[in-house]
Amino acid sequence: MIILVMAWRNIWRNKVRSAIIMCSVAIGLVAGLFVLSLYKGILEDRVSTVIHTEVSHIQLHHPKFKEDYEAKFVVARTDSVLSKLRGVPGIKSISARTVSQGMLMTGTGSTGLQIIGVDLANEKLVSQLDSKIIEGAGFGGKRKNQIIIGKKLADKMHLQRGNKAVLTFIDPESNIVSAAFRIVGIYRTDNAPRDERLVYVQRDDLNSLLAIGASAHEIAIILDDVNSVEATASSIKALFENMQVETWSEISPETKLMIDTTDSYSNIFIMIIMLALSFGIINTMLMAVLERSREIGMLLAVGMNRAKIFSMILTETIFLTLTGTPLGILITWLIVQIYQTKGIDISSIGGMTMSEFGFSSMIYPAFPWEKMPNELMIVTGAALFSALIPAIKAIRLKPVEALQK
Amino acid sequence: MTTVIDAHNVRKVYNPETVPVIAVNNVHLHIEKGEFTALVGPSGSGKTTLLNLIGGLDRPDAGNIIINDVNITSLSPNELIDFRLHNIGFVFQSFNLIPVLSARENVELIMQLQQVDKKEITDRVNKLFAEIGLSDKMNSRPAQLSGGQQQRVAVARALASRPKFILADEPTANLDSKSAANLLDIMLDLNKQEDMTFIFSTHDQRVIERARRVITLVDGQIASDTAAVDVRLKHEMSS
Repeated sequence: MIILVMAWRNIWRNKVRSAIIMCSVAIGLVAGLFVLSLYKGILEDRVSTVIHTEVSHIQLHHPKFKEDYEAKFVVARTDSVLSKLRGVPGIKSISARTVSQGMLMTGTGSTGLQIIGVDLANEKLVSQLDSKIIEGAGFGGKRKNQIIIGKKLADKMHLQRGNKAVLTFIDPESNIVSAAFRIVGIYRTDNAPRDERLVYVQRDDLNSLLAIGASAHEIAIILDDVNSVEATASSIKALFENMQVETWSEISPETKLMIDTTDSYSNIFIMIIMLALSFGIINTMLMAVLERSREIGMLLAVGMNRAKIFSMILTETIFLTLTGTPLGILITWLIVQIYQTKGIDISSIGGMTMSEFGFSSMIYPAFPWEKMPNELMIVTGAALFSALIPAIKAIRLKPVEALQK
Repeated sequence: MTTVIDAHNVRKVYNPETVPVIAVNNVHLHIEKGEFTALVGPSGSGKTTLLNLIGGLDRPDAGNIIINDVNITSLSPNELIDFRLHNIGFVFQSFNLIPVLSARENVELIMQLQQVDKKEITDRVNKLFAEIGLSDKMNSRPAQLSGGQQQRVAVARALASRPKFILADEPTANLDSKSAANLLDIMLDLNKQEDMTFIFSTHDQRVIERARRVITLVDGQIASDTAAVDVRLKHEMSS
């Protein structure tokens, strides 16, 4: 106990020097934690985009469909499947999609793409497609063969709302099917490559051209709670044993990988910051040991053993380092509070580069509370590392020499 | 009589391989329990070195030092630290109190290191502060005390561990005459009442006059030593 008291009071002996180290730790943590907050904000946004715009929480397919996207591999008895799915607890919304690989041709050129047939009323509850439409109002009226294309595709193919384009694709019998579609809307998401590659048509139109009746190739599901994805996927797998049931992390493994690797990067990032700070802490503690040589010599003389001297210096360094930590956490939290609703617009720095990789150019930082135990361990580790040299120097003092200093 | 310190042929040489300086040369010393001994001699005569050797703070190059039947020259550094904690009290010339601890905490520190029971610590600290006349200053930090008061706290700290003897290196050197006399009174009282053995180095003639045994060192050797019989007589006469 007395060692704790001495260690705590010792750090306040030279207030200015200790305050400088505490501020350094706080500033270092602010830098590190704010970057982690940005990472978290970017990742949360990306995961949200993946789930709510691109793949949904869970998807069902015919087991062979994703091998070559052949039109014949439909979800058997789609209506019955949809009906059963509506009885599964935790499912918020469902959209049945017809999917076909094809070509889009205009008078100026052609491009390969994926054609998604959707019922807009259901689809907007799953992928929020309606909210992404920046020109036009989406499918409307009873007119057949309407198409919504991405902004990037529109720019590339010089297409505007009202223009016509011909879609060519393969039906289940391997016949080439072509039809002219009128552009009724242009959408834009944070994922430009996807905007270039995906077009939406009405499912009835596509099903009719493919002659697959009311079947669908893909059933996308949104859940009430993201944390129940695995449990719900298991329930659905049990219900439909002959179907391929995948969660968003299985469909988009690169996103999962990104989350996992970012966790490692962020730890390394904080470690580098703390390692740099360690040298300042070592210097401060070495000065403290040097200044207190006589006192340490006296403690050795009167019978304080070397283990206790070592632990006193260790404790002192940990106190010195950890005292700056709450300040760093508090400042970062305050900064994140300011920007988490306001957002940080980086489009002026990188233009639309972020959207080329599927990320929004608006970053809404999120404070990484879940990483705090890890970060505190790194800070404590840095303190222990910093304490080693001064503590070893202290226990190597010879009392008779130290007392003469 | 109980022998507290028995030193034989103790020799200490500094810089043996460059410019050898013989600090202590073949010293024989025998101290009995309850002695109040002054080590005197000119600067460089080896007083502090001899105290350091007896206190186990330094190792002799030759000879043996036996304290309470333990040959401390054969102890490892860690054993020596533990031996000092339980057997020897130190009073330093410049007090050497821990500035971040109160007077009370400075005294308690030694007993906490000895893992003494909390209640016993409180009782003993209160008794010691009463003996040194600083009961009202227990919670003051060293910086709030005068030099004399700090040295009295240092004496209390040395006594706290219930040592076999106390070594004091020039304890009055940094004190004014009144404080020095007061400190000496306390040391003599403790010597009489608790039969505590004191060995101290000093230049102060007034201190030397009150010592019951005076050992004079010259060039690392004992030049004179008042006889043990004289010491006892003087002790009986003064009491």
